[in-house]
Order: sequence, then structure tokens, then C-alpha cells
Amino acid sequence: MNQKELLKGNIAIAKAAINCGCKCYFGYPITPQTEIGEYLSNEMEKRNLAYVCAESEIAAINMCIGASSSGAKTMTSSSSCAVSLMQEAISYACSDELPIVIVNVMRAGPGQGYIYPSQGDYDQSTIGGGNGDYRIICLSPSTVQECIDMTYKAFYLAQKYKNPTILLLDGLLGQMAEPAIINDNPYEEIDNSSWVLKGAKNRPSRQINSLEPNQTKLNSHIFKMFEKYKQLEENEQDYEDFMCDDADIIICAFGSLARCAKDLCSYYRQKGIKMGLFRPKTLYPFPNKKLEELSLRAKLFIDIEMNMGQMLRDVRLTISHNAKISFIGKPVGDWLKKEELIDAIDKILKENYATSL
Amino acid sequence: MIKSFLISGSGGQGILSIGTILANIFMLNDLFVTYCSCYGAEMRGGAVNCEINMSDSELYSIQNTKVDFLIALNQASLDKFISKVKENGIIIVNSSLAKINKTRNDIKYIFAPLTQQASSLGNIKFANSIALGILSKILNNFPIENVKKAYEKFLSNKTELIQKNIEAYLLGYNSIKEIN
Repeated sequence: MNQKELLKGNIAIAKAAINCGCKCYFGYPITPQTEIGEYLSNEMEKRNLAYVCAESEIAAINMCIGASSSGAKTMTSSSSCAVSLMQEAISYACSDELPIVIVNVMRAGPGQGYIYPSQGDYDQSTIGGGNGDYRIICLSPSTVQECIDMTYKAFYLAQKYKNPTILLLDGLLGQMAEPAIINDNPYEEIDNSSWVLKGAKNRPSRQINSLEPNQTKLNSHIFKMFEKYKQLEENEQDYEDFMCDDADIIICAFGSLARCAKDLCSYYRQKGIKMGLFRPKTLYPFPNKKLEELSLRAKLFIDIEMNMGQMLRDVRLTISHNAKISFIGKPVGDWLKKEELIDAIDKILKENYATSL
Repeated sequence: MIKSFLISGSGGQGILSIGTILANIFMLNDLFVTYCSCYGAEMRGGAVNCEINMSDSELYSIQNTKVDFLIALNQASLDKFISKVKENGIIIVNSSLAKINKTRNDIKYIFAPLTQQASSLGNIKFANSIALGILSKILNNFPIENVKKAYEKFLSNKTELIQKNIEAYLLGYNSIKEIN
């Protein structure tokens, strides 16, 4: 039986990565995720695994492309402005169909920004910052335990769909600690022998290359990729609905901010207002099926983010024809605290239900 | 029932260490806990703080506008965080490094010359553990085995320091009779 430990989000991710068979880690230090690399530098050496502190993030992600092509489970981690540097290679890796796991512990931007927690990379992670048509699987944990569970899931989905996968959390979750259990990896291993480059003895040679001068072939390659994304959207949408069954008002939030929103649900329910929380666990594929279902009943949705409204676009696309949507956002710095959120929500409720409050 | 704690002082005073140990003690007593430290470009001598929430039910919020308990190991952190303490909150002040001056009358003060007491144990660095002992007494104590376990885990590669720190913890624990 695995024991409960007090773990930082960053360390939890590093431990889970080793536990599920990550063979190669390439990265470059940046606050607030440096502990991931620090922890792995020791632990991977002990286990004779590959750890490289690269000369830059661009080098790190390109090393991931190489290692992943050979079939090794590969991970890199970084933070916002440095993940921006990786975008070109991420676009390549999507076209190359490589299962790289990228951990982005978000800090505030745009530009250099600073190390304060933020959720400003929702767009970059789900829509993508590189060129061309591609999608990236994106998972969003909200507790340290989920950091562990979703690290396992990120490796699994990456392998299953042969696509880069981003584990997206904000600096606060990376830095905070709470009790969690390093459980065993619940996912099956995916056979990759049909595509990895490990020497072509006794088989025809293979290539992993995003260059395709033949127009027809390039078209069909992208169609094939999108067939995969269709499968993802069909089968892998994941969410948590908290107190949503009878809710009139539903908060939409992701990541660590969403756990704070759970307190709000109890607070407003004590006042007789039926509030619930809808929390996407997969940001891509966005869980639009469940959200749309909820919008048939609840008529007011309040989207809360530590940015200026990035998931808001997905929420609007899904339910704006059914329900009213309000937004509360603060891009940088301190956590949105309960009292602050209550003030903002009270204001929205007054606008919408002038008589009932 | 959620209780929140803020521990503050200057870099090198072991603020994050006792924060982690306190969080571990809560965990070992099967309580829900979150621990959150300031991070970034801090250095030895700079300001350091960490915030801990403890509850007997699942914890959602991580940071608070106000806290129930404050440990301030120097004057600067006392000045900075005194306004963050809730009404009827409790504050433990290291009177070796901060003035004995009650600027608020809606909170309870505990002044203890932690650095001097620590120095009598052989090293001023034990001041943090004395403060932890005082806090633990106020919280109506925890089994000493769990306190030992938390120290053993935290100091697993500096085992020679465990005994002295527990002595310091007990010194703090036994120094408080009642709170006024």
C-alpha cells in the first residue's frame, strides 16, 4: 500500500513520470517549475535514465523529438514564456506524431511577465502557438493528487494517440504541497513497434519527417491527423461536475482555481442559491458534450479564470445559444481569493436577479 | 473547521522548514492540509513566508485574505503581516527580534524570546522549533510520536539535528501555561 506523502505539485509530477516509465527528460530551469528538473536530475541518474539539462528550451524540445522517435517515453517541463520558445518544435512533433509529454507550469505573461501564478496559456496550449493545422491534448489538474494521476494519463494519451500532450497547471499548484499518494500507473502500455526508429534490420526502412512535398500526400496526412482528433473529441472528454445536478447557476473554471470555486458552491448554497461547478479536466478535447447538457437546465454560467477570458471562448462556443454567460478574470499575481470572488459574483447575481438578493 | 496559519521571518530562520514540518504533523494526524510557500527571487536575509491551511474536511481554498494564526520571527514580518490576522486570532512573536508592542487589541499576543531561548540550546536556528512547540500547545497538542515522525522525515539526511529540534519544540510546548 502506497503511503500518503506531503508533496509539492512539481515533485508529484516528477515522481509520477519516473513511476510510469519516463526514460528521457530534457529541460532547462525556469521558475516556477525548476523542482521538476532538479528532482529528476538526481533520480534519473540513480536509475541510469537519460537526463539532460539542455542549453535552451529550444534544444530541450528538439531532444524530445529525437528521443521520442526512438520510442522512449519522453518528457520536458517548462513555464509559459519558455514554452513559447518550443512552439515550432511542438508543431513538428504533432506532424511527426510523436508522444512527447510537455509540462507547462504557468507563470504570468505576456512577454517575460513574472513568476506569479496565472492561467494565461490556455489559448497557447489548446489552440497552439505553432504553424499549421494541429491540436495538442491538454490536461489540467487541480490538486496535487491530480498532478500524479494526470501525469500518468498524459503519457498514456500521448502514446495512444501518438500526439504531444501538455500537462497545464499554474505556478501555485506547482509550488503548493498537500498530501497525495503516488499510486501505480493504472494505464496499459501501448505497443509502439509499428512506428519507432530502432534500426531497420529485417524490415523496410522508416522515416519520421514532417516534410512532404507531395500535395496529395500532405493533404491525406493532415486528414489522417484530424481523424485522430475526431476520435479524441469523441472519446476522451473529461470533466468534473460538482453539485451540478440541481444547479441554477454554474461556475466554469479549470485548474487550481476550480478548487477554490468549490468553496463558493457551498457558500452560496447555504444562502439558498443553487450553485454548481463545471471543471474541464481535459482542456483539449474540451468537454463540450457535458457542458451543453448542463446548459439545458442551468441558465446562468459564470466563467472564472486567472486570465482575461481564454476558456471563455470555448464556453461561449458551446452554450451561448442556451444560457447567459458572465466572466470574472484576473490575469496576474495573487490568487483570486474567496472574498474577492464573492464580491464579483454578488455583483453578477444582482445584475441578473435584482429581486432575489 | 478550517484553520489557517502564516509563518514568516527572514531567510535562514527556517520558516519553510517548520511550515513543512507543521503540515506533515497535520497530515500524520489525518487532517487535510495545504502548504503554500512564497517563491521566487528570495535570498538569505530576505523576507520569507509560508501559508498553511488545515481542516478536518476536504480543503479547497489554498490562500486566504486573513489567517487565524501568525508566527512572526522578526520585526519586519510582524509589521508586514499583523494586518492579515483575523479578529481574535493569535500571534506568536519572537521578542528577541521584535518589540513587545501590542498594536492591535482585538488579537491575542504571545511574546517569547525565541532567539535567546534557542541560543541557550546551543544554536539560534532552533528558534523556529520553539515557536512550533508554542503553536502546537495552543492547538491543543498532537501526539509527540507524530511530531517526532515529522521531524525525522524532514531531517532524514541531518539526523543529528532531530533530537535538538525536538528538545526545542518541547521547550516551546512547555513554556506556555495559558494564553491571555
